[in-house]
This record gives sequence, structure tokens and C-alpha cells, in this order.
Amino acid sequence: MVVNFDDVKIGDTIPSYTSGPITRTHLVRYAGASGDFNPLHHDQSFAKMIGLESVIAHGMLIMGIAGEAITVWVENKYLRKMSVRFLGMTEPVDWNDVENTKNRATITVSGKVVKKYEENGEKRIHCSIVVKDALGSRKLDGFFIVALPG
Amino acid sequence: MADRSKVGLEFPTYMITVEKNKIAEFAMAVALKEEKEGISPIYHDEACAKKAGYQGIPIPPTFMNSFAFWTGKGLPEIVKALSIDMNKLLHSEEEYEYYGSIYAGDTITRKMKVVEMYERGKRDRLGRFAEVTVLETEVINQRGELVAKVRTTLMER
Repeated sequence: MVVNFDDVKIGDTIPSYTSGPITRTHLVRYAGASGDFNPLHHDQSFAKMIGLESVIAHGMLIMGIAGEAITVWVENKYLRKMSVRFLGMTEPVDWNDVENTKNRATITVSGKVVKKYEENGEKRIHCSIVVKDALGSRKLDGFFIVALPG
Repeated sequence: MADRSKVGLEFPTYMITVEKNKIAEFAMAVALKEEKEGISPIYHDEACAKKAGYQGIPIPPTFMNSFAFWTGKGLPEIVKALSIDMNKLLHSEEEYEYYGSIYAGDTITRKMKVVEMYERGKRDRLGRFAEVTVLETEVINQRGELVAKVRTTLMER
């Protein structure tokens, strides 16, 4: 899908993107992919030691999911800026209690077009972004800027 | 506790070559997919990437974060240099500015420095107080082009 500058209006929502539920295996995969081996993300005994119930997802995995959501909509090469604040921790699904834990581990990315402008000879849009779990708890918010053809 | 005399501290400059398979692995990780077929072909098929207008296999938007982990001694080196307690470390903000593209096979030079350190909240209110450290990283390719800038905000609870 090609998104053209002229087709985008201020206030338009970006296509909603849902991923997950995140499992502990996903966290291990992200640890290996990124090199972030902070035990907080895979070692239950470490999580307990610092007072958490469970290991938690890497904030950067959640931002990575947001990046994936953006580039499903607009091609990677058009991305000019991405900026987020991390707001909440994400616990993975428990296999022995999927029913009660899958919503906390299911991630939805949404966003809105805030501004259209020209910069550096490019037509750019500025979009807000917010990532929540299926319980409505916010994981991060921020914005991204893309240059669009047309 | 974060040592505020560290503002302006420049970390050693590190180089890393962007590996093709690492891009696919990362793209699968953030898409929560178990196989390459589940992700965009631009992240593992060079012909597809070129057809889509890339000069090679590009990196996913947040891939650059991994340069900090795969160079030098990774995160332990960073928290040690800043005197941050790893058990109290939180990542509070992350920002990328993209000036150019990074492709599989590129050799990247990473220059990171401490640009800000400050306290947030009041020290006497338990749990609300935090020491904030802001790191800025210049990401430069093998042709000497500044391809991206990263701003990372860390908090020590």
C-alpha cells in the first residue's frame, strides 16, 4: 500500500495494529536479537528479587512493535523520526493461566495524523502514537514523522 | 546513584558491521514471528528490498538500539561508567532521528556521550524520586555520513 501526502488529512487515524499475546519465548527471542540480556526480561528469580511478580517485556520490544506497526502502514525508507516515552511495564502471558493473562500481553498500536508540513524539500506528516495492552493500560506514547510521496 | 560529574562524558567510539541475518532475526522478534515468511521480505531478501527502492536490506526502525548492546561490553559498561545501579535501572525515553539509511553490510561507527543528568521528583517522597541520564549517540556509516542520531533517557529509581 502506498500512502500519499495528499490523501492524508489531519485527524486521520493510522491503521490500528495488534500483536501478541507476548510470551516469555518472545522475550528471549528479542533478547537474542537485540543483545539486551538484562535478566529482568527472562530470569524469573531476578524479577522476584527486585520485587516484581514476573519478568517484563523490554521497553524496546514494545517500541519495536510500534515501529513494525508504523512500517506496515508507511514504508521504512520514509521514516524520519520516532520518539517515545515508556509509561508502563508489560508482563507476558502465563501458559498455565492464558485466560486471565492474555489481555495484559496483547499489544495494540494506534495513532493519529497531527500535522502536515514541508521540510527539507519533503512533504512530511507528524503523527501521535500510543501503545496499550488489551486492558487499556498505556505502555508508551510519543510521535513519529514520515516523508510521503505525492 | 548517577554521578552528575559525568555530563559531557564521551564513551569510547565503537564500530560494528550490520549483519544480514541479524536484521531478519530482529525483524522477526519485533513482529513476534517465528519464521522469515512472517515478516516483510525487505528484511531478508535483497532482491525484494532493491525492487522496493532500497539499496540493500534495510534495518527495522529500532534496530539501532542493539548497537549499544553488541559493541564494547554492552549495557554493563554503560551503567558502570554512569554509576547507575542495574537493579534500579529503567529506560524512560527513546528517540531516533533518521538522516539516511543503514543496510546489511554497512560498517557503523557509534559515538555516544552523556548530554544531561538531572533529578526528577523530590528525594523525600519514596518512589517518586529518580535520577535521569540522557545519552546521545551519533550513528555514522563507512562513508563518514551521519545516518542517524539516537537519544536515550535512562532513569534510576
